[in-house]
Amino acid sequence: MINKALNHLEELLVTFLMGGATVIIFVAVLHRYLAGVEIPGLQDWLLTLNFGWAQELCIIMFVWMAKFGAAYGVRTGIHVGVDVLINRLDESKRTKFIIFGLLAGALFTGTVATLGGRFVWENGAHYAIFNFFGMAGEDLFEGPTTPDLEWPTWAVYSAIPLGSSLMCFRFLQVAWDFIKTGELPHHDHGHVDGLEEEHVPVDVDVYSMDDNLHPHDLKHEMVGERRDGGDRRQTKAAVAEERRGGADRRNGNGDRGDKQ
Amino acid sequence: MNALVIFGLLAALMLTGMPVSISLGLTVLTFLFTMTQVPLESVALKLFTGIEKFEIMAIPFFILAGNFLTHGGVAKRMINFATSMVGHWYGGLGLAGVLACALFAAVSGSSPATVVAIGSILLPAMVKAGFPNRFGAGVIATSGALGILIPPSIVMVMYSVATNTSVGALFMAGVIPGLVLAATLGGVTWFRAKKNNYPRQPKASWAQRWVAFRRSVWGLLLIVVVMGGIYTGIFTPTEAAAMSAVYAFIVAVFIYKDMGLKDVPKVLLNSANMSAMLLYIITNAVLFSFIMTNENIPQALADWMLGHGLGMITFLLVVNVLLLLAGNFMEPSSIVLIFAPILFPVAVKLGIDPVHFGILMVVNMEVGMCHPPVGLNLYVASGITKMGITELTVAVWPWLLSMLVFLGVVTYWPTMSIWLPKTLGMM
Repeated sequence: MINKALNHLEELLVTFLMGGATVIIFVAVLHRYLAGVEIPGLQDWLLTLNFGWAQELCIIMFVWMAKFGAAYGVRTGIHVGVDVLINRLDESKRTKFIIFGLLAGALFTGTVATLGGRFVWENGAHYAIFNFFGMAGEDLFEGPTTPDLEWPTWAVYSAIPLGSSLMCFRFLQVAWDFIKTGELPHHDHGHVDGLEEEHVPVDVDVYSMDDNLHPHDLKHEMVGERRDGGDRRQTKAAVAEERRGGADRRNGNGDRGDKQ
Repeated sequence: MNALVIFGLLAALMLTGMPVSISLGLTVLTFLFTMTQVPLESVALKLFTGIEKFEIMAIPFFILAGNFLTHGGVAKRMINFATSMVGHWYGGLGLAGVLACALFAAVSGSSPATVVAIGSILLPAMVKAGFPNRFGAGVIATSGALGILIPPSIVMVMYSVATNTSVGALFMAGVIPGLVLAATLGGVTWFRAKKNNYPRQPKASWAQRWVAFRRSVWGLLLIVVVMGGIYTGIFTPTEAAAMSAVYAFIVAVFIYKDMGLKDVPKVLLNSANMSAMLLYIITNAVLFSFIMTNENIPQALADWMLGHGLGMITFLLVVNVLLLLAGNFMEPSSIVLIFAPILFPVAVKLGIDPVHFGILMVVNMEVGMCHPPVGLNLYVASGITKMGITELTVAVWPWLLSMLVFLGVVTYWPTMSIWLPKTLGMM
């Protein structure tokens, strides 16, 4: 329940930041050129507007998007790695490596969240929060502000502790699910549908194909062939045979088959 | 010594299969806690300021633009236009596929996206027209690689971020090699089709060509917006990327109407997901190169290499081999972000032009995308055709071989890359 709300909030935030930043830069560029055109009335009004802050706001929005999007990316399993070797291991060894990788992710993001949190606290959050409750101390550091928008930097930088904590939580969540079910997250629309289909789904994701940039989970089946190293020089007939076999298996265990 | 420990640790962590970004970050953290005096605060700050450059923001914008363009409309009309122009020659639809990929590459900055956009429409059509499955898959998987050579290109933005080279000059430098590679791939297609006598399309009249051109003109105009905008200085590359994202949105939703307004949030979320993944690698790669610079490792490596009498020719050969090997394990963005900061100082000391070096890296990345085990283009093509990777590997080899020859030419003939930006006065 809470998890679902968190998922939605995360998606909403990331979508909004992506769209918002695009619109802001578009409007700022448009403004720069329209203000140079002599249209009575409109030009005067445009000249009163100042878009000097657009670039800075765009950067801030994208950095926030990057931090929270990276957390969302853990949930969708988009982060690329070097999985050529572990994908050739047998299942029990691969399981260990996958869990190790996920926990390493949690360790790194957890550490960064702590470091970032301390940094934000010492650079103004402490002052701002204590001031808000009317108990400001003399020796607290107010912290710098950003150059154009003059926002306190601690608020801007709080993307690091917030985003990294969320990412840490996501890594633990994915690890837990993997231990329980043996499945890693993959995008539902990752596979472009077969030859009959001419329309690409709107959210096709080229990074979630069957490549070796992501670990294969325990329920993984290759498209078109099974890969176990030895049979790489198959004749055409054998490949075709494999493909038929692969399709049957897919439909049989109902893993990816039912999505296609 | 420190360098060995750092790279050893990084390689070990990466081979366990954890995300590249996490292995970069953990290497940095381990190094910080055990071997150096760099204050932790400066690292926390770097996590934010590492991607606080406006140039980097071109990446999410180009991804967004590409995602708007992928959905049918623009790609379909470009294919029709290409078919009307070259479809009657040997190779017919295959040749049209190369041309369509080149056109789409000029509006999109990503290779796999080009394969998805062109392949999902053209490959079924090619099978219907009587081409063997392998031929079509081979053409599209390799031609899709043009996506990162013909500007705009996300990999070029990554290179410019890692080495502070001008994005505009890099984009311009990609134009001529891109056209040459397209011609080479087209030549291979033509030759193979002629040998096997594959079907050809009926010749289109000039009136039909004009109609096809007019229908595809909204997509083609985007080339003018991006390249013209950057060249004339109307936009910075990032602004051009933002403009192309808005333009692509308008074309997809209001002009070609392949996509409803209700699909827009999905596209935004999907683009954000992909961009955030790349930006996260950048953040950690920036941390990594910050630590390396702090320890003077690139300089030490450069001195060591030069001390062993490494000439320009040997160095470029070593770079090519190194990058081609790396292409067996990693995807292009990570390779560029990790290797460019290390190799770049050496290249500069040897008097290699930064822009030429960038193009060389990009072409290496293209080759890596077209062969297993991690070639994204192959996996996308496999997703579309449902062919196995082994079969696809066999299918792409004629084009891949010509691409390797092309790589040799790019490596040892810098004029091809730097003539255009020099002539235009961009470098």
